[in-house]
Amino acid sequence: MLELGETIVSCADVSVFYGDTCAINNISIDIEKQSVTAFIGPSGCGKSTFLRTINRMNDTIEGCYIQGRVTVDGDDIYSPTIDVVPLRAKVGMVFQKPNPFPKSIYENVAYGPKIHGLANNKNHLDEIVEKALTRAGLWAEVKDRLHDSGTGLSGGQQQRLCIARTIAVEPQIILMDEPCSALDPIATSKIEALMSELSAEYTIIIVTHSMQQAARVSKRTAFFHLGDLIEYDSTDTIFTNPKEQKTEDYITGRFG
Amino acid sequence: MSPTKTEQLVTASLKSRRRQETSFKLLGIAAIFVALFFLASLMFSILSKGLPGFFQYYITLGVELDRERLDPAGDLSDQSLFDGQAKKIIQEAILAETGAKKRKEKKAARKLLSNGSDLRLVSYVKANPELLNSRQLVKFALDDDADSYFRGFVKKQTPEKQRRLSDLQIDYLDQLQADGLVSYEISDYLFFGSASRNAEMAGIKGAAIGSLLTLVVCFVIAFPIGVATAVYLEEFAPKNKITELIEININNLAAVPSVVFGILGLAIFINIFGMPRSIPLVGGMVLALMTLPTIIISSRAAIKAVPPSIRDGALGVGASKVQATTHHVVPLAIPGMLTGTIIGMAQALGETAPLLMIGMVAFIVDIPGGVTDPGTVLPVQIFMWADFAERMFIQKTSSAIIILLLFLIIMNGGAIWLRKKLERRW
Repeated sequence: MLELGETIVSCADVSVFYGDTCAINNISIDIEKQSVTAFIGPSGCGKSTFLRTINRMNDTIEGCYIQGRVTVDGDDIYSPTIDVVPLRAKVGMVFQKPNPFPKSIYENVAYGPKIHGLANNKNHLDEIVEKALTRAGLWAEVKDRLHDSGTGLSGGQQQRLCIARTIAVEPQIILMDEPCSALDPIATSKIEALMSELSAEYTIIIVTHSMQQAARVSKRTAFFHLGDLIEYDSTDTIFTNPKEQKTEDYITGRFG
Repeated sequence: MSPTKTEQLVTASLKSRRRQETSFKLLGIAAIFVALFFLASLMFSILSKGLPGFFQYYITLGVELDRERLDPAGDLSDQSLFDGQAKKIIQEAILAETGAKKRKEKKAARKLLSNGSDLRLVSYVKANPELLNSRQLVKFALDDDADSYFRGFVKKQTPEKQRRLSDLQIDYLDQLQADGLVSYEISDYLFFGSASRNAEMAGIKGAAIGSLLTLVVCFVIAFPIGVATAVYLEEFAPKNKITELIEININNLAAVPSVVFGILGLAIFINIFGMPRSIPLVGGMVLALMTLPTIIISSRAAIKAVPPSIRDGALGVGASKVQATTHHVVPLAIPGMLTGTIIGMAQALGETAPLLMIGMVAFIVDIPGGVTDPGTVLPVQIFMWADFAERMFIQKTSSAIIILLLFLIIMNGGAIWLRKKLERRW
């Protein structure tokens, strides 16, 4: 059985439905704190859906409902007393397509801290923005044009801007939904390096289609298939010695 | 290498495909030309009739500004000037110019002047009190029949019985023109005059102000309600049978003939709420009802066009639903909302039928000072003028149409400018 350090996200018997369709079928999984966990699996296997249950982004989808129990830091996030606003401040998200706001680079990063009131004054806000951009590895590239539009950056820069925007709020967990699928290999490698750095402070859960990427960046890997969690183990084990036949078929390219 | 079967088939079908393409293109070009032809004939008809309507014939008369006769009380008050003999002084001046002596001659000469000449002299005196007790040259409008004579609509060859001017009057007019007293100038009555049964004095000022007041009321009511409805339906409302029903109803309302909204306004605002007839407030409310579906539909389209990834981005950093909407979605949708609103307002500006139902077709000489003063609007003014028999009203109608079209072009241009200015790319 998989040995985990301190866990931060814990899911027990989670099922997700879109109307009558069951997208996630009775999944139980624990995520280790301050490490990178990858979700892999063929398209439509429910890994993105599952990722979005962890910060309740599925709430925005009409007709989507969930059974089971998801806890973050010990709190049941689907309990009626939980407000999604602090939850999403704690569990940030980076999306498949870079989606900076059509505002300046500065405003993009400052938006989260502003709405949560994290900065006491303008100088403090400047500091937060600089720190977030630095940690996202973007500061050197944009420090002279902070007030240019965020949408004028290249795809890879935009995605790092989105990561900066997320970490400016100081979340504990960052969910990444195929963050590199729209990027070229150079931008991808930058983001991957960034993930490794960030995992010292943050818990990162990444959904990816690229098995090489999962192998490169993650410590644990979970393999999903048709809404089921087939196998969850350390990345090494999954890629070298999977227990399940389906996992082996998928990672060796026999289906998927 | 011989061509494959596919290549042969493709080559064989090429000719008919090309022919189809050509005929399709020709059809499109023909359609555009037909449309352009109608547009050009419309513009030609309106401009050729309407441009002369911006001008009219004036006569310059030397008048004795005798203080005692013009301002009997001596305080230049409206009442005193009203009691004065402005009309008589002008008539004396025209009689002196024409040399009319007999009673019949005098009557003929007096009728050459516009009925509003005395008002013009009074306002001239009011503006220049220092000129009292001197002789001044003042311009007065000619009567519309005299105006028509100079324009060539009334001809000498026509038998006297069949025209509105007598031989005597025509002689007087020829004489006045020969003396160099008649001038053809931009019509100040058209721009600064109000509704009048005298064609030469009729102007659009009252109607234009009525239109403005009505549109302001319409905007103040329709824009906030329309945008709020669109935002709620798009961003917050659950998708169920009730919201579906509301949506269908809004779409249907957009297609309801405008006169129906007029009847609704008449029944509700005037009959039930007891508001007065003919006022811009009620007109604006009726037009707001009519414009609302347009604003709601275009605002919803604008909100829909904001990519969901922007909402996700905002929600992902912990913005609440309201914050995501007000900080990101609405600002991005504003250009589209404004464009829809301005187009809706332009539609409202050109609307006649619903305003007829609530009595804005009344003959109102006073210029409305507020939304609760009776008034009329430009299209209704055009509608009324088109109904009058005098020759000069035909020109005035076309002139008013040109002005209305100018307003519409300005509003639509404004919509395009706003959209260009506020548009952001993502």
